[in-house]
Amino acid sequence: MSKLLEIRGLRARIAGGREVLKGIDLDVSPGEVHAIMGPNGAGKSTLSSVLAGKPGYEVTEGTVRYLGHDLLTMPADERAREGVFLAFQYPVEIPGVNNMYFLRAALNAGRRQRGQAELDAQQFLKSVRERLKLLDIGDDLLRRAVNVGFSGGEKKRNEIFQMAMLEPRLAILDETDSGLDIDALRAVSDGVNRLRDPARAIVMITHYQRLLDYIVPDRVHVLADGRIVASGDKTFAAELERTGYAHLVDAA
Amino acid sequence: MPIWSMRLEAGGAMLMTDDSAPFREGFDQMLATAAEPVWLTFRRRAEMDRFALLGFPTRRQEAWRFTDLEPLTAAAPLPMAAPLPMAMADDLPSPASLALWLLPVTTHRLVLANGHVVPSLSAGPPLPDGVWLASVAETLRRRPDLLEGAFGDEDGALAALNAALFTDGVVLALEPGVTLETPVEVIHHTTAAGAHARLHIALGAGSRATVVETAIGPVGDGAAAGPVTSWGNTVGVVTLGADAVLTHLHIQAEGPAACHTAAVRAVLADRARYDACAVITGARLSRRDMAVVLAGDEAEFRLYGAYLLDGGQEATLSVRADHLGLGCRTDEVVKGVLAGASHGVFLGTLAVAPGADGADARQVNRNLLLSPTARVDTKPELEILADDVKCAHGATVGSLDEAALFYLQARGIDPETARRMLVEAFAAEVLDAAGLPTALAELAHRHLWRWLDGRDS
Ligand SMILES: Nc1ncnc2c1ncn2[C@@H]1O[C@H](COP(=O)(O)OP(=O)(O)OP(=O)(O)O)[C@@H](O)[C@H]1O
Ligand SMILES: [Mg+2]
Repeated sequence: MSKLLEIRGLRARIAGGREVLKGIDLDVSPGEVHAIMGPNGAGKSTLSSVLAGKPGYEVTEGTVRYLGHDLLTMPADERAREGVFLAFQYPVEIPGVNNMYFLRAALNAGRRQRGQAELDAQQFLKSVRERLKLLDIGDDLLRRAVNVGFSGGEKKRNEIFQMAMLEPRLAILDETDSGLDIDALRAVSDGVNRLRDPARAIVMITHYQRLLDYIVPDRVHVLADGRIVASGDKTFAAELERTGYAHLVDAA
Repeated sequence: MPIWSMRLEAGGAMLMTDDSAPFREGFDQMLATAAEPVWLTFRRRAEMDRFALLGFPTRRQEAWRFTDLEPLTAAAPLPMAAPLPMAMADDLPSPASLALWLLPVTTHRLVLANGHVVPSLSAGPPLPDGVWLASVAETLRRRPDLLEGAFGDEDGALAALNAALFTDGVVLALEPGVTLETPVEVIHHTTAAGAHARLHIALGAGSRATVVETAIGPVGDGAAAGPVTSWGNTVGVVTLGADAVLTHLHIQAEGPAACHTAAVRAVLADRARYDACAVITGARLSRRDMAVVLAGDEAEFRLYGAYLLDGGQEATLSVRADHLGLGCRTDEVVKGVLAGASHGVFLGTLAVAPGADGADARQVNRNLLLSPTARVDTKPELEILADDVKCAHGATVGSLDEAALFYLQARGIDPETARRMLVEAFAAEVLDAAGLPTALAELAHRHLWRWLDGRDS
C-alpha cells in the first residue's frame, strides 16, 4: 500500500534563525490516524507549518512526499487544493471577509483543481447545513467575518467545520482539542471520526490523552526537541500519561 | 491690470510671475461675450485677481506640502487658456462609458462635458414642488436669486480660478420641508485641460436630498505616469438649513492622464446632517478639499471615504471640520490603499471653537501599503479651543496581514485572490460603514471592484 505522507530526515529552521526540526521521519498511510504528542516548544506546530507551506521556515534537509509528489516544492495554496488541510492551533481572524464567502471560494478553488464543477450558491448552502448540524455550530457564525470575535472554542469548531466542507486527503489537526468544553470536544471528535475513511489520513497534535479516547489513533508519536523520539500504538498514550516525556527526551 | 505676485525662486532671485497670465485673454473674451448679471462679472474679476495674487499652490505652502501640482502646472504650454463656450461633440462621453457609472435606479441626471451641462444626456422624472434642479447657466437666467448669495470669497487659489472661469454647473435648491426621494446624479466628463464647473446645493429647513457626483474621463491605457492632459476643477457649495439632511457620494474615476481638483465648502445649521462619502481611484493627480462648518447646534458631519491608487497616482484628501455650535458631531473614517509607486495624502483638521461645548469628533485615517514604493502622508490635527469636548483622532499605515494571507492560502485560495480579498475587505468596510442607500452603496462597491479588477498585479 503506497504511503499518503512520507517524511524523511526533515530538518528545518526558522528563516534566518535556529533549527527547530532536527531530522523527522514519519510515514502515514491512507486510512490511518496518527497522534503526535510532546513537550511545549518541541516543534510540533513547526512541523505542521512546514507541511502546510507556511512562509518563514527553511527546510535545510530531507524530503516530504505526499501521494508520491514532492510536497515541499508545491505552493501552500496548491497543497491545500491537493487535499492537505491544516487546522490551525491559533486560527487567524480576518476582518471584513465573510466566513461563507471565504469558504465557498476555498471549496470551489479545490473543485476547479480537481476538474469538478463549482458548487452554486444553493448546492453550497445545502452542504453547509448538513455539516453545521453534525458539528452543532450555529449558522450565525457563518454570517460573521472569518473567526472575528469567535470564542476560542468557536474558532476550533470552525476549523473542523472547514475540514468537513473541504474533505481533505490529509488533515493535520494542531491542538484542535485545546480550549474545547466537554460537549464541544465530543462534537468535534464525532466530526473527525465521520471523516475517517480508507482513503484519508489524519495527523493530530495534542497534549491530552482524552482526545485519543474519542478519536482512537493507529499510531502515537512523541516529538521532542525536533525529533520523533518514540512511537507506539494506541496504548502508548496512556503509558505516556503515567511516565511523562522526561525519560524519552533525556534518552534522545 | 493684474496684481503681480512675487515668488522667491530657489536661487534666491526675485521673479515676477503671474500664473493668471495664460488665462487672461480667454477670460476677457469670456466676459465680453457672456450675458451675465453684473454682480457675477464683478465676482469673476475679483476671483481672477485673487488667483493672480495667490498663483498655483506650491509645496512651499503648508497645506500643499505633500501635494505636488507639478504634473499639472508643468504641462507645457499651459493648455487651459480659454474655457469653451459650450460642449463639443468630441467632449461627450460615449454611451458605453457613461453606462458604467450610472446608478442602477431612476435618477435626476445631469451630465456635464468639460464643465457644460449637456441637455441631451440629462434626464429625469418631473421634479416635485419646491425643488429647483437645473444647470448654473439656466439658473442664472431664470432664478439668479438662488445663486447671488451663494458666491462668496473663495478659499484658495484653485477655487478662485474656478469662480473666475466657471462655465456652468448644477444648482439644487430645496424649499423647506421638501424631500427629494429620487437621487440627483451629476456626472462630470472631462477631456479638456481646464473644465471649471460648480455645484450648488441648498437645502431648506427639514428638507432632504441625495446627490451622487461622479467624475469620469478618457480611460487611456492604464499607466499613470505621463503628462496631464485633462483637468477638471470644481467647486461645491453646500448650505443645509436646520434639520436638513444631505447624502453626498463622490466617485472619482478619471483616467491616468487626468488632473482633478475639487473644493467643497458646507455650512450646517442646527441639527443639519451632512453624510459624505468619497471613493477616489482616478486621475494621475487629484486633490479634494472639504471645509465643513458646523455652525448650528447639534449639527452632524460624517465622512466615510477611501482612496485607492496605483502606478504613479497621487491623491490628496483634505478635510477641515469647524465646530461652532453646541453639541456638534463629526465622524470621519478615511482609508487608503496604495499600490505601485502611488502617493496618498490625508490632511484632516478637527477644530472646535471657543464655547462650542459638547462637540464629539472622531477622525480616523487607515492606510494599506501594497508595495514598497507606495507612500502615504497622513496628518490628522486637532484645534480644540473649547473645554467640554470629546475628540479622537488617529492614523495608521500598514501592509497586508501575512497571517491572514497564509490562512486563506492554506484553504486553497491562490495568493492573488487572497490578496484581493483582503484589500477588498479593508476598503469595503468603510463603504459599508457609510450606510449609503442601497443604489449608492452598489455604485460605490462596483467602483471598488472595478479598481480591484483593473490592477491584476
Ligand atoms: N516564527 C517563529 N519565530 C521564532 N521562533 C519560532 C517561530 N516558530 C516557532 N518558533 C520556535 O520554535 C520552537 C518550536 O515551536 P513550535 O510552535 O513548533 O512548538 P510546539 O511543539 O508546537 O509547542 P506547543 O506544544 O507549545 O504548541 C519554539 O521554541 C518556538 O518558540
Ligand atoms: Mg504548537
